[in-house]
Amino acid sequence: MSIKFKNVHKSFGNKKVLKGITMQVQKGEILFVIGTSGVGKSVTIKHIIGLLKPTSGSIEVDGKKVEHLKEKQFIPIRKKVAMVFQSSSLFDSLNVLANIALPLEKHKIVPGDKIQDKAMQLLTEVGMEKYASVFPSEIGDGMKKRVAIARALAMQPDYILFDEPTTGLDPVSARRVDKLILRLAKDRGTGTIVVSHDLPSIFGISDKIAMVYQGKIYFEGSREEYQLSKDPIIQQFIKGTSSGPMETPGF
Amino acid sequence: MMKQFLTNFFAAVGDKTISVFTAAKTLLLVTLNIFRGIFHFKNREKGEILKQAYEIGNRSFLFVSVTLSALGMVLVFQVCLQINKITGDQSQVGPEFIKGMIHAFVPILTAMMLATRVGAGIAAEIGSMKVTEQLDALRMSGVDPIDYLIVPRFIASIFMTFILGIYAALLVILAGAFMAHHSFGVNYNVFFVFDKVTWGDLIIGSTKLLAHGSAIPVVSGYCGLTTKVGSEGVGVATTRAVINSSLAVIILDFIISAIGLMTIQ
Repeated sequence: MSIKFKNVHKSFGNKKVLKGITMQVQKGEILFVIGTSGVGKSVTIKHIIGLLKPTSGSIEVDGKKVEHLKEKQFIPIRKKVAMVFQSSSLFDSLNVLANIALPLEKHKIVPGDKIQDKAMQLLTEVGMEKYASVFPSEIGDGMKKRVAIARALAMQPDYILFDEPTTGLDPVSARRVDKLILRLAKDRGTGTIVVSHDLPSIFGISDKIAMVYQGKIYFEGSREEYQLSKDPIIQQFIKGTSSGPMETPGF
Repeated sequence: MMKQFLTNFFAAVGDKTISVFTAAKTLLLVTLNIFRGIFHFKNREKGEILKQAYEIGNRSFLFVSVTLSALGMVLVFQVCLQINKITGDQSQVGPEFIKGMIHAFVPILTAMMLATRVGAGIAAEIGSMKVTEQLDALRMSGVDPIDYLIVPRFIASIFMTFILGIYAALLVILAGAFMAHHSFGVNYNVFFVFDKVTWGDLIIGSTKLLAHGSAIPVVSGYCGLTTKVGSEGVGVATTRAVINSSLAVIILDFIISAIGLMTIQ
């Protein structure tokens, strides 16, 4: 039971973003896909759920190749692999409870008369039950993130993808989101891929790290191996220094 | 030097051609998906079509009322003024004005106003959802964005364009009659003569309203769905929606008028 990338390439027009990504995450494991901004981390994970199609290469979800699937064929994959978007992406026109109820209803996860109860239970799980009737514009970023996590959990997924879950949050909220991700992964046994460049998150909760650099996986291994690496590029990323061998897009 | 110029020239022409064909293909796919989505009754949120119909009607009611009544008055004033200089016989002003309004002016003017008001709103709303990844979140939730966002607006727009068109026709005729009576002393009984209006005029006018009402959400929805990143992208999509919806209305109006003249009249 795993998600596997095999030599995945992705170009937007003439711009080559991914130049051969190969990596995998097992169920029950937390994999951090890390790297500098604009390196293609979010682009990488969006291929799993068909929001982007690779130029070449293959992606497998529990042994099923997904790169050639059509939009409708992705529906079972999207029930199995949920995503929490970078900006939370809650639906503005729906209140918090309805945001959770929508995927429950459309994916027919629970019977119609149980949808509201299930949505409330998921909100309780992320500590947002008091905000069920408010609209996304009325709550803070940290709260939105928790609601987005509850919405992802609504699908009862085997895997969850987090796109920069702590970006834009204060340090306390960020660590609370980390704690929530860790608890969900361990309690539910879901495979988790977290796109991030937030070092406290990376070294706090990851089981495995895959570093994207120049369109390829530059490093894949445990966080201990990553921290102990003598590689100058990895050391520059850890120390966050502006001078060094690492090239960053746009600089 | 010449070779380089020719290479760049043909590359630019080729790029443009490909992007035009890609846009046409996407627009066609969006249109087909909208027509397919009309029959997906289960996917429709309860009351969504009524909500959208209220939005379209409410947003445009005052705009349409003020613009068309002013236009009706100005047109009649100018026509009466010119006739006064030539023959002074105002008896044909009303019947010809009524025929022209129903057949040609009201459908295109109502639709152009809806294209600016409603088209911009649809593109801005869907475009904002695109740049904040809400469209992707919808797809992840098992919802087709075209079914969920554009189809209710499509049905509501057809219905409300037709209703607003009928309302606008009545208003513009009343405004014209008011101007003719008070400025040139044309009797209301002489103005309100509907003999010149044929079934053909009514069919052409109605067909135009239905066609324009369907074109606006299709074109604006397409512009919203293809929004590029950032708030600048939303602005560009909104502008494109207004321009392209208006162009679509003009082209459809021309085609329906031509077919109507060749067949019905």
